Order: sequence, then C-alpha cells, then structure tokens
Amino acid sequence: MEQFAQQFVNGVVLGAMYGLIALGYTMVYGIIQLWNFAHGEIFMVGAFGGLAVWTALPESLAENAFLALPLIFTAAVFTATFTAVLVERVAYRPLRSSPRITALITAIGVSIVLQESVRLFYPDGKRPQSFPGLVAEGNFSIGDVRIPWVSLFIVIVAFFAMLLLQAFVHATKTGKAMRAVSQDPDTARLMGIDVNRIIMVTFAVGAILAALAGVLQGMKFRQIDFHMGFLAGLKAFTAAVLGGIGNITGAVLGGLLLGITEVMATQYIPQGSAWKDVWAFIVLIVVLVFRPTGLLGEDVSVRA
Amino acid sequence: MKSVDSDFSPSSLSGLAGNFPPRVLLRASGLTVRFGGLLALDAVDFEVREGEIVGLIGPNGAGKTTFFNCLTGLVMPDEGEVRYKGQLLVLRPYKVAEAGLARTFQNIRLFPNMTPLENVLVGRHCHTKEGVWSALWRGKRFREAEASARMAAAEFLDFVGLVPDEDLSAHSLSYGDQRRLEIARALACEPGVLLLDEPTAGMNPRETQAMLELVQQIRDRGVAVVVIEHDMRFIFSLCDRIVVLDSGCKLSEGTSVEVRKDPRVIEAYLGISPE
Repeated sequence: MEQFAQQFVNGVVLGAMYGLIALGYTMVYGIIQLWNFAHGEIFMVGAFGGLAVWTALPESLAENAFLALPLIFTAAVFTATFTAVLVERVAYRPLRSSPRITALITAIGVSIVLQESVRLFYPDGKRPQSFPGLVAEGNFSIGDVRIPWVSLFIVIVAFFAMLLLQAFVHATKTGKAMRAVSQDPDTARLMGIDVNRIIMVTFAVGAILAALAGVLQGMKFRQIDFHMGFLAGLKAFTAAVLGGIGNITGAVLGGLLLGITEVMATQYIPQGSAWKDVWAFIVLIVVLVFRPTGLLGEDVSVRA
Repeated sequence: MKSVDSDFSPSSLSGLAGNFPPRVLLRASGLTVRFGGLLALDAVDFEVREGEIVGLIGPNGAGKTTFFNCLTGLVMPDEGEVRYKGQLLVLRPYKVAEAGLARTFQNIRLFPNMTPLENVLVGRHCHTKEGVWSALWRGKRFREAEASARMAAAEFLDFVGLVPDEDLSAHSLSYGDQRRLEIARALACEPGVLLLDEPTAGMNPRETQAMLELVQQIRDRGVAVVVIEHDMRFIFSLCDRIVVLDSGCKLSEGTSVEVRKDPRVIEAYLGISPE
C-alpha cells in the first residue's frame, strides 16, 4: 500500500510537468487547429535559457536559491516566449491559410531546427548539461511516503501556474478574446478583436508554461540536453489528446493521468520499466480508437 | 456640420429635430468586388445618414451579403473606399469594429459555448480597458470595472428582451433568442451603424413584428441601421430609404413608395417589363 502511495505521488509530480507542457499544445490547437510539434522544443529552449543565466551568475548569487530561482525562471520564460513568438511570426503565420498538413510539417521542421541550434550553438551543447537542484535536497515524510522537497516544489509551481492560467482565460479581457477566437475567429474579428495578436499571446502563454516545466524538469533530474523536448513533447501531446483537444482542464487531467499510468505500469507490470516510454503511446492509441474526443472533449459538432 | 447633399429625401427626417439634413455617417463609393470572373459588386455607391433605417433588398445572389462583408472587412474590395464619419475606413474587421460598425449574420454566428452574457461581454471588447495584472490581482478597480461591464452587458440583454442565465450556453437558446442575442452582442460594440443581415429569417409573424419594434428602438437609441431582408412587408414598413441591388449593381434607391413603383425593380424581381 505504501508502495502504491509512493508511486502515486511520483506519478502526480511527473503528471504535473506533462500537464504544464500539454497546456501549450492544447491552447494552440484550440485557437488555430495546429498541432505545434515544436512545442517540446520550446520547453527545452526554456530550460537552456534558465541554465545559461544561472551559469553566468557570480558564485555567491548562484548558490542562493531565493535569488537564483527567480532569475532562472525569468530567463527561461523570456527565452521560451521569445522563441515561440518568433516561430509563430516567421514559420506559422505565413501558412495560416494553407492546408493543415503543411503547417504540421513546418512544425516538425521547426522542431528539428531548434534542437540542432541548441546542439550546435550552446557551449558544449551536444552533451547533456548538469542543472542546479537549488531546492533543498532530501525528503520529508507523510506516514511512510517519502516526498523529495523538489517534488513538492514542482507540484506547487505547477498548481499555481494552472490556477493563474484559469484566471487569465476566464477573467481577463484577453482570455475572453482567446476563447472567442477559438470558437469563431471571423466573428471575433468583427467584435474588434485583433486575432493575430491573440494568437501571438496564446503562443506566448503556452511558452511560459513550457519554460516553467523545463526548469522544473531540470531541477528534478539535475540534467538537461538538447533532445529532451522530443519525448516530453510527445507525451504532453498524448496528455492533451487524452484530456480532450482544446480543453484546458482536460490537458491538466490528461497530464496527471498519464504520469500516474506511466509510473504504475512501470511498477506493477513485470519488466515494466524497460517499456517505460511505451505506456504513454499505448494510452494514446487506446484513446484515439475508443474516444477520439478525449475525456473532456466536446462534441466537435457543437463547435462548428 | 452641414451636409451638402441635395437629393436628400425628407422621409428620413422622421423622428429628428431641426431642419438641417442629418449628416452622412457611412459612405461607400465605387465598391467593386470580383470573385474570379464574376463581378459580385459593380461600383456600388451607398450612404447612411444619422438616425436612418436603410433597407437593402434584391434577388438572391444580388450581392447584398457580399456588400456587408465588404463593409466589415471580411471581403476586400478590388476598388472603392468606405468612409465613416468622413474618415477613411481601414477595411480590417477589428478596425471596422473599433471605428463603429457592427453586424449580425444571416446564419447566426454566436460563440456557442459561452453564456449569453459572455457573448455580449466579448462584444464589449473595444470598450473595456483592463490590464492582465489587474485582472489577476483582482483589485478594487478591476472588480468595479468588471461589475460595470457585466451591468452594461446585462442591460444590452435586457434591451433585446433576454434574461441572463449563467448556466446556459448560447447554442441552447431558441432560434429567435439567438438572433436577439446576436443583436445584443453587436450593440455592445456601441456602433454608430448596425448592419443586420436577414434578422427575421425563419421567424413567425409575431416574432417578426417584435423584431420590427426592436429595430425601431435601436434607431431611437441613436444607432443608424442597415437591414437586408427578403420580407418586403417588414422592409416597407420599417425603412426610411431602400436600396435595391441586382447582379452587383445598384438598381434603384428611394422611399418605399418610389422603389415599389420603379419598373426596373419590378422587372428584376418578376422578370417581366411592365407596360
């Protein structure tokens, strides 16, 4: 039982990170029906942006988590947002009215470009880079379940980011405009909404969340590399589909379910750990076959 | 500001004080739209004055909806220009909305998964100033602005005769109510000119009568209205002035009496030349 509880906690931590990335996927899809396969790379670029700034800090600052963490997060968010907005402007906007498959292939191309850029231009980028832990090492215990402080930190950051996002989408004017654009872009335009700006904001918000996830992942595994966005991106994509395409609550739920599934399968299925990365895609296939709209997905006919 | 138009018809003065002809709000000149080889609009001139209700009629395919799409920036004209209060309009939908033109659609286009109130709030987009941080912080100023926006939205709903229901999505409203909601949303932009594309399509006579009264009330609020309709009784009893389009050309223009007697109009509709 404690083993189950322990694994459950691990699953939630993993799932929180998947959820953060999945949000960017699902929001961009909701607004321009594009599977932005470069989103995993935005997550990676964010982590590298954070690391670059941390490396440049004087030692006295770098050791102080209270000062270094905000700087790392800020740097990660700026790098990722800048990259995402640039990609949207340069690669996606010119293709806004072309067939979806064109944009999809472009996204895959962008993803390769970003990976290779980091590999080539980040100092020693072809090797994994060690990432600072910063949050106190060690655990605290609830009963027999041991929870590393860094895991608690991850869940708290993810939780507040999602709460802020919810408030943003539902309470702000821009958030309302975003929902309007996702339901009917032409009509939204006629309400005085600058659709191009809203699309840019959507990419930016997705990038902010992905950057947070990138730093959190670095802190947890103490290591990042130029390839980390690929698998994380695919799993977040799965989480978004599982939760229901375009549905914000769904992305978070999908992320959590996926994280928990992965951890449990690894634990309880014999030889499960060798198949660690396969479970996510089994889930993806099952969802696509039996419930293509996802758990919280709307009936597509209502949208149209 | 005095208008210099001499061909001004007195009937559009109804309901307005003073002897000066009301000034021109919206003027389209020489609007031309080609779809491939098809001339959808052929150098159409059109104007709307303050406080007017203008009817836009014509057989199917005459270019009425294209004309609306053109005014609101959904279709770019190949030639011609549109001026609003004398200013040249940039024909981009969100610019047009900011300037003061709002419209409804022939086939209703609400935001289906939002509540009626939220739909109207989106309509108020150009008139709400609100920063992201203040919204997340939810300070006193924000709550006051939010409350006043909601109050304004509720008033627009009330004006068209709808009751705000927090639990209802717009797509579950009845057809007539959806049309009313679309009008409320358009009015929330606080336009100077409201463009209605077949507001009574699919309505029964009672609903049509209610719509007629609603459009008159909208005019009484100081909003000029341009309405596309196929229901001639509706058009003739409502409009100060009527413009007839046929095959993309302006065929005729005048009061309902003038238009009804115009042989070209009768020919366009019935396909025969009268004696």
